[in-house]
Amino acid sequence: MAPRRAAAPEGGDPLPALRRLPGGTTGDVRVISAAWMTIRFANGRIHQPHLEQSTSVSFRVADGRRLATATGSDASGAGLDALAATARALARIAPVERKFPGFVAPSGRSPGRLAFSTSTASLSPESATSIAEEILDATESEAAGARTAGAVTVGSERLRVANSSGLDRTSASSFARASVLVQRPDRDPPVSGWSEGAHWDAGRLAPARLGKEAAERMAKTTPAPVEPGSYAVVLRGPAVADLLRFLAHLGFGANGEVEGWSCLARRRGKRVAPASVTLTDDARSRETIPQAIDYEGTWTAATPLIHKGLAGNVVTDLLTAGRLKRRLTGHAQPPEAPFGDYGPSPSHLLLEPGDATEDELVRETRRGLVVTRFHYVRVVDPGRGVITGMTRDGTYVIENGEMVRPARNLRFTESVLTALAGITLLGKDRRIYSGEGAVTVPAVATRSFRFTSATLF
Amino acid sequence: MEDLIRTALSTVDLPGVVHADVRVVAPDRFVQLAVRNGAASALTDARSEAIGVRVRTDRAWGFATTTDLRPEPTREIARLAVRLARAASRHARTPLRVTDDLSPDRGQYHTPLRRDPFSSSFESIVELLSSAEKALHVSRSVRSGIATFQAWEENKWYGSSEGASFTSRIVHVGAGMTATAVRGSNVQRRSAPSSHGGDFSQAGFEFVDGLDLVGRAPEIGQEAVALLDAPVCPTGPTTLVLGSDQLALQVHESVGHAVELDRIFGSEAGFAGTSWVAPEKIGVLRYGSDLMNVVADATEPGGLGTFGWDDEGVAAQRTPIVHRGVLVGTLSSRESAAQLGLKHSGGTARASGGDRAPLVRMTNVNLEPGDLSLEELLEGVAEGVYLDTNRSWSIDDRRLNFQFGTEFGRRIVRGELGELVRNPIYSGMTPAFWGSMDALGNASTRHLWGLPNCGKGQPIQGARVSHGAPVARFRKVAVRGG
Repeated sequence: MAPRRAAAPEGGDPLPALRRLPGGTTGDVRVISAAWMTIRFANGRIHQPHLEQSTSVSFRVADGRRLATATGSDASGAGLDALAATARALARIAPVERKFPGFVAPSGRSPGRLAFSTSTASLSPESATSIAEEILDATESEAAGARTAGAVTVGSERLRVANSSGLDRTSASSFARASVLVQRPDRDPPVSGWSEGAHWDAGRLAPARLGKEAAERMAKTTPAPVEPGSYAVVLRGPAVADLLRFLAHLGFGANGEVEGWSCLARRRGKRVAPASVTLTDDARSRETIPQAIDYEGTWTAATPLIHKGLAGNVVTDLLTAGRLKRRLTGHAQPPEAPFGDYGPSPSHLLLEPGDATEDELVRETRRGLVVTRFHYVRVVDPGRGVITGMTRDGTYVIENGEMVRPARNLRFTESVLTALAGITLLGKDRRIYSGEGAVTVPAVATRSFRFTSATLF
Repeated sequence: MEDLIRTALSTVDLPGVVHADVRVVAPDRFVQLAVRNGAASALTDARSEAIGVRVRTDRAWGFATTTDLRPEPTREIARLAVRLARAASRHARTPLRVTDDLSPDRGQYHTPLRRDPFSSSFESIVELLSSAEKALHVSRSVRSGIATFQAWEENKWYGSSEGASFTSRIVHVGAGMTATAVRGSNVQRRSAPSSHGGDFSQAGFEFVDGLDLVGRAPEIGQEAVALLDAPVCPTGPTTLVLGSDQLALQVHESVGHAVELDRIFGSEAGFAGTSWVAPEKIGVLRYGSDLMNVVADATEPGGLGTFGWDDEGVAAQRTPIVHRGVLVGTLSSRESAAQLGLKHSGGTARASGGDRAPLVRMTNVNLEPGDLSLEELLEGVAEGVYLDTNRSWSIDDRRLNFQFGTEFGRRIVRGELGELVRNPIYSGMTPAFWGSMDALGNASTRHLWGLPNCGKGQPIQGARVSHGAPVARFRKVAVRGG
């Protein structure tokens, strides 16, 4: 076996710098040490292998109720003191944040030891590239002559959060994810198939299975045009994951609730989906990429979002909990995050599975479309939860309960709430999809999904 | 920094390594100041440092990076880059070729600044944002106001095994504001000078002074409120006039990304997608009407895509992309240019920092202006809509089918701008849309817009790019109210 690469850089101790803050000033510090690789492949070769070892520090200070943050990559004592000075200078000119409740003292129950894979955290460059090679070999065997592209990411991250109120907590995550596209660009129109998966343990990625699945999902015959309109659809896992990511932002992000534009603002406690639908955010689950604390050090916990079809409340961080007068749910992002519209949002979604196989989802749908994944999904109207995007890499027509032929790709423009309310069946097999956090979902069938235009392939 | 670069280059001077380049970016600084609903939603001063070592064997690349700028961690990641390249070479059946581009011996590039944002206090900017944000709240219907300022400072050292070397200091700034008016599920937004954070330039504080956020804020707040009562945009094929702001994003999505040569060759197929442009069509493909002329100009003053040398040490260039409606050029790197059989790279390989390897990116991809004033351009419209300022954007993975929503629209009736309409959406297919362009605004309607958030690559890289665009008129476009 190839020698392991060096461990992630060690972060410094933030406590002395917090203790040195002058009277009237409090703070919290995040030290993130990460070591990971992304091995990209395309056109049958590994073309962009990337390895990273990094430390990042974010020091937020509150001068009374004036808040500011400084970030850097030097976690030494001197580096932390310099960040504190920069943040203090910026806080002095900040407007007062009246709803800031102050940094919280440690409370709550530790989630205990979460799933973590030491072997994933210490994979060598040679082992990481081998995972990509397994995918390439599988697709070459299943679809000789096709073009294959994708990426494998493996690594680990350690997050330590400390604050002036005595909180000092650490979380370690290991992660592995892979995606693969198999494509025949020489066909007219080009056809493609897709598969992806993620896990906290690289040993559970099953790269050959992903390659085989992508090859199987590539159309064997020429995709035919389909008229735009409303169709019943079977959404495969990656498509479901995309819809739920947007629901998480538009319906359960705190800023939308504070400012009145959340698509679920007037529907808390009301039915938004059939009773078979239960959606939870749980960063502690073994069926996600686990994370013990959020970026303010609050223990993560299972947060019900939709329980048996009834909409729950938004998630919060320190500031939005203060503004909404709600409890902290442990969903803080880094305070230096870009000016996202959504604020704290669920990031470890788990949709309860049903008991249908994919064949049964198709059979019960009778007439409609199968969508493997979406592309370039964006918000059209946040108040109504309307989003748009394209289908991609495996769209099929269902007739008489069977997948009969491939379809050219379509653009949907639909409310995520309509898709949710129309769910008729849930698949039994769940998989983890990773990107912004992780989403663990089965395939679903939904009654009506609006496609507004078509493309040429 | 030169010592670190020499350390890295000497570490990777090993059998099988045919090329290496090293970039140190320190500091890579980003200041963001945001006032949202009267509170400081994000005041941040971020400084990072990173060194990135890229090596090439005759078959594969390897890239490794660290934030620890000391000699031993530098040597360690340099060795890891070589291991990655060797491991990646195992599966490569054909050699990897790059162009022979001449690189600078010892170049320097600095952003010309009148008022350097990083050498003074940000107090006046916070005051400006607070005043502007407050002025957005013209009625209780404005449930959210946000005013933002962003500035970046990138200090870079570059060195390669070919003996190239340059340093640069590039400064970008920008600001903007958005009012959100809400009535039930009717949510309307108006932004100025543009959405997605405002407008940006390679300049100093003087650029932000010129945006007049405080002066424009009440009007923006009023427009957001007015949109709540505006009729929904009418549906049907019609004549569409796009404002310069929205047209800049149209250029970005349906031209800029489509002509990235790495996409054309499939390097991005597994993530962002490919392109409707086939390599063999470059030089003959009809992209749009005869009025359409597009250049990629990395030399235009003020552009976010303006620099001295790209991240492969290739000098900034002005490259024709579309000439009289025909695709004549692409955006390229040394590898993708060689793949097409070109002798030289187009010099558009850019990395978002020392911690990322360069990819083919946009620079300043500009639609050249025509010769009509806005009034002359509208005169030719019996009935249509004028749309501007992006609200939503989406395009398929070959850059053909697109759909854009804008913050507002105005009906055009007999050559005059009229009634405000809400939730406008237009859609189309790239070549048909550009083929329907029958009038272009003159230089007085042209603006160089800065977009600071173009995403590409795995791991994701954010690029800052610019687009010069005038106003333009398109016939028989599918428009509807959302």
